[in-house]
Amino acid sequence: MSETKNQSHQSQVTLEDLLKLKRLERPSADFWADFEREMRQKQLSALVEKRAWWQRLPQLLLLPRVYIPLGATAAVAFTLVSLRVYSPVSVAQLEGIPLDSTQQSSREVVSKADGVHAISPVVVNRHDQADDSANRPVSVAQAEVLSVSSAPSVSAKQNIADEDSPSARSIAANFAHLEQSEPELISAVLGSRLSSPARIQSASQPTVELASLAVNNSKRVRLVAHYNDHQVAAEPVATENVRERLSRRWSDGEFNDRYSRIGLAGDKVSLKF
Amino acid sequence: MNLSKVFTKAIISSPERQQEADTDLLIVKQVQAGDVAAFDKLILKYRERLFGVVYNLTANREDASDLTQDAFIKAFQSINRFQGSCSFFTWLYRIALNTTLSHLRKNRMRTFFSLEKLHEDGASAQILEQLTDRKGADRDTYLKELQEKLNEALQKLSIPHRTVITLFEIDGLSHSEIAKVAGCSEGTVRSRLHYAKQFLQGEMAKYIRA
Repeated sequence: MSETKNQSHQSQVTLEDLLKLKRLERPSADFWADFEREMRQKQLSALVEKRAWWQRLPQLLLLPRVYIPLGATAAVAFTLVSLRVYSPVSVAQLEGIPLDSTQQSSREVVSKADGVHAISPVVVNRHDQADDSANRPVSVAQAEVLSVSSAPSVSAKQNIADEDSPSARSIAANFAHLEQSEPELISAVLGSRLSSPARIQSASQPTVELASLAVNNSKRVRLVAHYNDHQVAAEPVATENVRERLSRRWSDGEFNDRYSRIGLAGDKVSLKF
Repeated sequence: MNLSKVFTKAIISSPERQQEADTDLLIVKQVQAGDVAAFDKLILKYRERLFGVVYNLTANREDASDLTQDAFIKAFQSINRFQGSCSFFTWLYRIALNTTLSHLRKNRMRTFFSLEKLHEDGASAQILEQLTDRKGADRDTYLKELQEKLNEALQKLSIPHRTVITLFEIDGLSHSEIAKVAGCSEGTVRSRLHYAKQFLQGEMAKYIRA
């Protein structure tokens, strides 16, 4: 009888009714008191606890979008200002020569330093303008290095002295005054090794022009260098001096006084002193 | 109006839910403005529902208590990131669900049931009357047996299926709300719900109508 009643009751129960039973599983009031106390403790500890930096990254990513372009602009501006303030000052800018042409010619001259003939016009120019000791044999490669390294730097230093140093300005003024009042003294004492800034500057600019010419026209450069090598050689000059000296010593009177015996043998004449 | 907010309002179809969401948003803005005590209102409002979900997923009251507290703490810590693109309770449920699922994956091998007692009141008396006509000790024993069998059957379900049937049948969320909380489509929710019901009917065939 009871089984029949139970079966009839079961037929009325559905899965949804059973699951409603789960809703009735609710904790007591004591449980919620403990829950609230523990919750308060955790909440306070969460407020006090310092969060790690990587836990704050999502918050940083969720910053208002206006800050991102502002920050990027500030970073770019800072970089540009830093580059402008701390960038090294180039020699070409100090000289007032355009950076591209100077750098290009310098690079080309240096790159040709291994070749003997390429830079000889530069050698000629430097020897003529800056140093009168033309008799001293100088190798072409050394002269190239000299011209590349010294020509811009001399004028650059001169410009720096003109602009920055008061003592340099006073020295230059004294030189100019002395050149006007006693030009012969200046040329006799100093020659062309020391000269006014304008002269140094005018000497350096053809050097650059000739350097570019050397690169463009190598055949012509080689010919000029060959000619200059002959010009600076000491041998022809020494032979001429010896001839002059011999001609002066062996005048007719001395010649007649010094020989003691004359001999004739066929078509030859022999003299004994 | 933001498109996501329009979508959220479409999901929250009933006026009561909409009013509830607006109230929650006001409280959340108070908390975001620095009124930390206002968060207690949200805890009091949602702690039982949240505990019920977590408890039915874990079948352990201590774990459910800790996980519910953790979910509230996480929500409190991340309250400034809540921008109202979904309702607060959806956001809170998602946090609780993720916390619980993470706990269940870590403790997959550890199953320890600690069930709550059935809380009988006026409303629940009718349900209990439907379940059994027994009286006295027999009735309590029968309900206890029914409760244990039901929990065992639920724990045999996979976590996604258990989640769906818990949120739908026990907590009373709609398909769309479950889809939003669980992060899947409504079709997936319906499919999982259908499979879970079939499985439970097979497990509880002794106690229910075929």
